Amino acid sequence: MTAHEPSGLLHSVEIIHWAALGVMAVVYTLRIRWLLAFRGTRDRQAPGSPARTDARKGAMYSLANVMMPWSMESTRRGFPFYVTFVLFHLGVVAGIALAFLSTLSRPFLQAPAVAAATLALLGAAFLIGLYRIARRLLRRVMRLISTPDDYFSVTLLTCWFLLGVFAELNVLGRIGGDGVMVAYLLLTSFFLLYVPFSKISHYLYYPFTRIWLGRTLGHRGVFPLQRG
Amino acid sequence: MSANETTYKIQAMRELLAKKLTRSVVGSLVGCVHCGMCNDACHYVKTHPDDPKMTPSFKADQLRKLFKYNYDWTGKVFPWWVGAKEPLTDADLDVLKDIAFGTCTNCRRCTLNCPMGVDTAVLNRIMRGLLTSVGVMPEGVRVVSKDQWEIGNQMGVLKEDYLETLDWMSDELVNEVNDPNARIPVDEPDCDVIYAINPREAKYDPRTIAAAAKIFWAAGESWTMPSEGWDQTNFGLFSGDDQLGGAAARRVYEKMKELKAKRLVISECGHGYRSTRCEGPNWAGIDQDFQMESSIFTMLRYLKEGRIKVDQAKLRERVTYHDSCNLARSCGITEEPRELLRAVATDFVEMTPNRAENFCCTGGGGAMSMSEYTPRRLESAKVKADQIAATGAKIVVTSCHNCVDGLSDLIKHYKLGCEVKQLVDLVADALVIEECAVMKKAKVVEMPKPALPLDGRRILVVDDEADIRTFLRTVLEDAGAEVYEAGDGNQALAQARALKPNLITLDLSMEGKDGIETFAELRSENGLASIPVCVVTGHPEFREVIYSRAVPPPEGYMDKPIKEEQLVENVRRILGLQDHKLHA
Repeated sequence: MTAHEPSGLLHSVEIIHWAALGVMAVVYTLRIRWLLAFRGTRDRQAPGSPARTDARKGAMYSLANVMMPWSMESTRRGFPFYVTFVLFHLGVVAGIALAFLSTLSRPFLQAPAVAAATLALLGAAFLIGLYRIARRLLRRVMRLISTPDDYFSVTLLTCWFLLGVFAELNVLGRIGGDGVMVAYLLLTSFFLLYVPFSKISHYLYYPFTRIWLGRTLGHRGVFPLQRG
Repeated sequence: MSANETTYKIQAMRELLAKKLTRSVVGSLVGCVHCGMCNDACHYVKTHPDDPKMTPSFKADQLRKLFKYNYDWTGKVFPWWVGAKEPLTDADLDVLKDIAFGTCTNCRRCTLNCPMGVDTAVLNRIMRGLLTSVGVMPEGVRVVSKDQWEIGNQMGVLKEDYLETLDWMSDELVNEVNDPNARIPVDEPDCDVIYAINPREAKYDPRTIAAAAKIFWAAGESWTMPSEGWDQTNFGLFSGDDQLGGAAARRVYEKMKELKAKRLVISECGHGYRSTRCEGPNWAGIDQDFQMESSIFTMLRYLKEGRIKVDQAKLRERVTYHDSCNLARSCGITEEPRELLRAVATDFVEMTPNRAENFCCTGGGGAMSMSEYTPRRLESAKVKADQIAATGAKIVVTSCHNCVDGLSDLIKHYKLGCEVKQLVDLVADALVIEECAVMKKAKVVEMPKPALPLDGRRILVVDDEADIRTFLRTVLEDAGAEVYEAGDGNQALAQARALKPNLITLDLSMEGKDGIETFAELRSENGLASIPVCVVTGHPEFREVIYSRAVPPPEGYMDKPIKEEQLVENVRRILGLQDHKLHA
């Protein structure tokens, strides 16, 4: 184990990294304000199936949908893809945690279980990222609906995962010097600043889109879906 | 088309887009990550796997490009980076028309399969609305929308044709159930139910109207159909025109309120139900303050309340149920039709997938009115055809008129050898009339009296002898007449003025003003002179006196004592009733 004694360069990058987080928080707040500045609506019709469900239940069901792969045909039938989706996003969580905890609590990241989990998640997310890039490039359907932002975002994340693997190894002392961690934190900073302006910001909208859809369909008696 | 006109159209689309941008719409516009998970949900993609333009996110992106170009932070600065773009020419608008109208039925299956909760069908409908607002739409959509705006229903059924159809169906039903009360009531106020239909029923399939009327009749329902505002369908849902949507829905609501009906029952129609029950109040800006339900619920309620009885054994062929997209995915109606179907069919099998996961009939979203896309529609119907074929059903039941047409078309195209019916047909066929409410009510209600020889006639009996008056009253009342009495001439004149009877029996020899004088006054007074008079006297010598006066003679003359049959016969003769058939 090594104590965290950052060089001057790394210390500067850490500050940039935290500053980027602050900027991202401000921009995200503005993004949410922008979204909520649009007109809200309410359903004027009477509830569709008040004995069974309502807007609140529909919203909760919709929000929890991501954790219920059986609830949608697309995730039920495409379960392997769902698994890659879960791992990819857990990789993002691991990468973010690595970036911030590397400046706050290196010993935690050096714990064998944490280190193993971080490496596994970042490694898996990297491989899935490569698969996603290939899928987007090779499938006609995906090419047609992809924008430069789509390619750039997935490539950015895939590189970031790979760099994250090296960063974790650096934390563990398997790779020496500050170079890897400087690069990782700089990329993370860029990632934080870029996210609000790219498709990656979808996770910010996720709760809103799911709740709004669920509220409407719950009020009408559609959500939770009924099955035979 | 000049560049200026195109620019004007784009500007108009921008302005309308601004009005359509609600939070949930913007959420759907910014939430898509282009993951492609919606692809396999779409019947167009499944049947056109090599055509990437069929994918739902591509269709929604057409609106997304416009939005990003005008609203998105990145899109406004680096439009190429996020695919922000505006249509520039009429050719661009035609491409958009082909995508929005010709490659999507707005069935919402992709919406329910999107991990992000992006409502792609709503986005496509908005794109349709933008195009419609600038006149870029399929000809069929234009014609149908025009009819709904101008004539009040989407098939341009004229009021006289509609009423004539109801009359015709009334005659059919009366003959079928042998009850003159089984007619379809029109514009009856204060009924429990007002029934709104799809114009397709009036124009092409009036049997469903008769079937529904039979069910209402059997249930002993207090119901009516409106002469106006009867079209529960709404092409605004398909064209994306919220103004048309609001206007069409308002017509139905206003007629219901005018007639003070307690409940609006919507005949089996997926988009009609969604438009009237779910979207209509929002489009019309009216908070729903009255009851609305699909006829599926009405029939099921009658069954549960014992107001109608059905014989399940009447239908032994294998049936399957096709969930209408609008009912299942937009209104949550999945279990009630099945409960009803199980009550009227012995061999019901589910198609797979079903309920909210069912595939579109491919005739939804107004597709049946867009003939230019028919080949593509029928290609995409392969998914549905395979679903139906796998059930082995001989009858496909659905609660939607669009689905009836869409399914019938694909069944013919793919030679599936089955037919399409609606629940209303099956329930009406399965009715056990003897055990329905209408018959139970008939058992406790007093049977109508048989028609009598003098039914409905008002007769004034004038005689100074009370026992004679009583005799005459008894005989005439037994013959069905409404009888009044007068004991002398003055009373007779007063009663005659007040009652205007159909006939007066007049005694000639009375105390005070006698019959002769009374007769003369009756004949000379305006308003009384035309009342037929039958002289009833025990003094035949007065006959000459009566007939010699300078006034028209009495219409009848009888000598006392009088026989009952003679009296009735004479009165009938005087009243000109002899040729009338008696219904006794």
